[in-house]
Amino acid sequence: MSKSNRRNWFGGSNNGRTVTVIEPEIERTQRRKAKIAFFVTAIVTALLAGTVFSSYVHPILGGFLGLLAGVLLGGTVAVLIIIWPVLRIIWHWLPEILLGCFLVYGWTWLMGATPVWLSLLILAVIIGAPSAIGPARRAVLSAFWCLTVRHRLRMCFAAFIAHNRQRTLPFILFAKPTPAGERVWIWLRPGLSLSDLEQEGQTQKLAVACWANESRVTAASRKYAALIRIDIVRRETLTADVLSPLPDHVPDDMPATALASPATPPVGLNFADVPGPRTKRAPNTNTRARIPRNPEPSSEIDPSDYA
Amino acid sequence: MNAPFDAPPSVPVGTGMSIYDPILIGIDEYGLPVHLPLIYHNILIGGEPGAGKSMLLHNIVGYAAMCDDCDLVLIDGKQVDLGLWRGSAAEFVGPDLDHAIYTLERVQGVLDLRNSYLLDQRRQKIERGDGMRPLLLAIDELAYYAATVGTKIEQEYFSALNRDVAARGRAVAVIDVSATQRPSSDIIPTSLRFLFGWRFAGRCVDDSSSDVVLGHGWAGRGYSAAKIDPKNRGEGLLLAEDGIPTRVKGAFLTNANLLRVADYAAAKRREARDTPPNLRAVA
Ligand SMILES: Nc1ncnc2c1ncn2[C@@H]1O[C@H](COP(=O)(O)OP(=O)(O)O)[C@@H](O)[C@H]1O
Ligand SMILES: [Mg+2]
Repeated sequence: MSKSNRRNWFGGSNNGRTVTVIEPEIERTQRRKAKIAFFVTAIVTALLAGTVFSSYVHPILGGFLGLLAGVLLGGTVAVLIIIWPVLRIIWHWLPEILLGCFLVYGWTWLMGATPVWLSLLILAVIIGAPSAIGPARRAVLSAFWCLTVRHRLRMCFAAFIAHNRQRTLPFILFAKPTPAGERVWIWLRPGLSLSDLEQEGQTQKLAVACWANESRVTAASRKYAALIRIDIVRRETLTADVLSPLPDHVPDDMPATALASPATPPVGLNFADVPGPRTKRAPNTNTRARIPRNPEPSSEIDPSDYA
Repeated sequence: MNAPFDAPPSVPVGTGMSIYDPILIGIDEYGLPVHLPLIYHNILIGGEPGAGKSMLLHNIVGYAAMCDDCDLVLIDGKQVDLGLWRGSAAEFVGPDLDHAIYTLERVQGVLDLRNSYLLDQRRQKIERGDGMRPLLLAIDELAYYAATVGTKIEQEYFSALNRDVAARGRAVAVIDVSATQRPSSDIIPTSLRFLFGWRFAGRCVDDSSSDVVLGHGWAGRGYSAAKIDPKNRGEGLLLAEDGIPTRVKGAFLTNANLLRVADYAAAKRREARDTPPNLRAVA
């Protein structure tokens, strides 16, 4: 069997083609890391625990106990490291998993506890109320978008954000609804930085992938450069006029102001009314206009323009 | 009548507003009010024609005009916007470069006076309640003076004066608020642009213009004023206290309200000026 179509763990065979959840390189590095971690943890724990046990029981017995503790702890650490990619996937789908469990067990429990007609009625109310009540519907929708955005962002990161050598992706922490869209916090892994997300056109790609209008990235913490924040904007919230509070400071008994002189007729304001060629030029002896300049100043990047 | 003493009823009472307090300039994406503490800061306002630069200036200048403790120096190449606040201004300059230069020289004189006073007092900074009135210098259509009329030497002198006010004015409570469409280096020298700590970018034509207002690199992170809907006047990106641009919708004043506020502020200032100092102390 050639290496390329070797079956991976968590890779199932599907119509003869392998569906891979965890890529081979990641699996290899994961295994190596696990081995190293196992031995380091096991040796250190064995030595420490052996010394401690020896002062309570017979030294040889203590040594064995220490060895046992080392193997147990090292094994646990190694297993955690090996299954870390799976843990990450579980973290990633945790809201959906919890929701699924809740639905399945909730329904079973409901059916068991109440007559069928009452269960159906409760179900109808649970589904019907949010779709009828505006705020509830919006809350459900924004929760839906928060869940969706986390998965869309992960797809983006896998597709086009620069990877580091171990091909670890940014860790997506939480998403929170905002009036304009969602705000997602990301923990960058070694090898990535905010500037990877700032590359030309990168934020537009994020917006496209999230089915949004705009996206913006910034550092989210003054302490950790790895913690960044992505704002997804999918709704325009600033369309309504905002009235300035200044007029509220003016007392009501202030006499209404008339326009300065409404009687002045607008005459003598056209081109023909401006005197013809002047004998003397206006004091505008702007010499710069005659120096040939770049035809289109905005098309080129003038470094002194950015301050 | 149980008044403790017979003060004439005409003693003016101020509006109770102070330039040391933050100015409400609009709301952000969350619907929360955005306050801009302007004292000890300078702000540069950019954006395409019709972006709402002058409306933001109306908010700022209007607030300052209503304050009991602030003097106004207004320079507007287009006259019509800041001209409304003429009645409250210590000096109003229309499209006249000589007048603008002369006025900025006077402001520079204020800086020198205050700095030598502070040196005498062995202090570094003017603070609330120490008797010196903060001064708001607002310039609309900056490009008119800095790149359009006059000779190159005069324009450069104007920019140099503006730079001096922005640089040295901070500690002596002189606030520089300048607005222009695209503050690129041919309009405002880069060294002057750096002195404006805070920026407001109304809608811009392209990402590079937005970066010229806000600073290099913001468009790459998605903070570009070119993405603002051109029909949504008054929306812009404000780069102030947080260090991250925030989307802001500027507050709006109808023309009638503008006139009302301007007339009231002017009347209040006239009243205060005409009151003898001993009565002012009572009030
Ligand atoms: N905050 C705002 N809310 C609603 N409309 C605004 C706002 N700011 C500006 N406008 C509208 O846009 C027009 C142009 O604004 P203006 O401030 O004169 O632009 P600029 O000075 O940038 O050329 C105004 O006449 C006003 O009708
Ligand atoms: Mg204007």
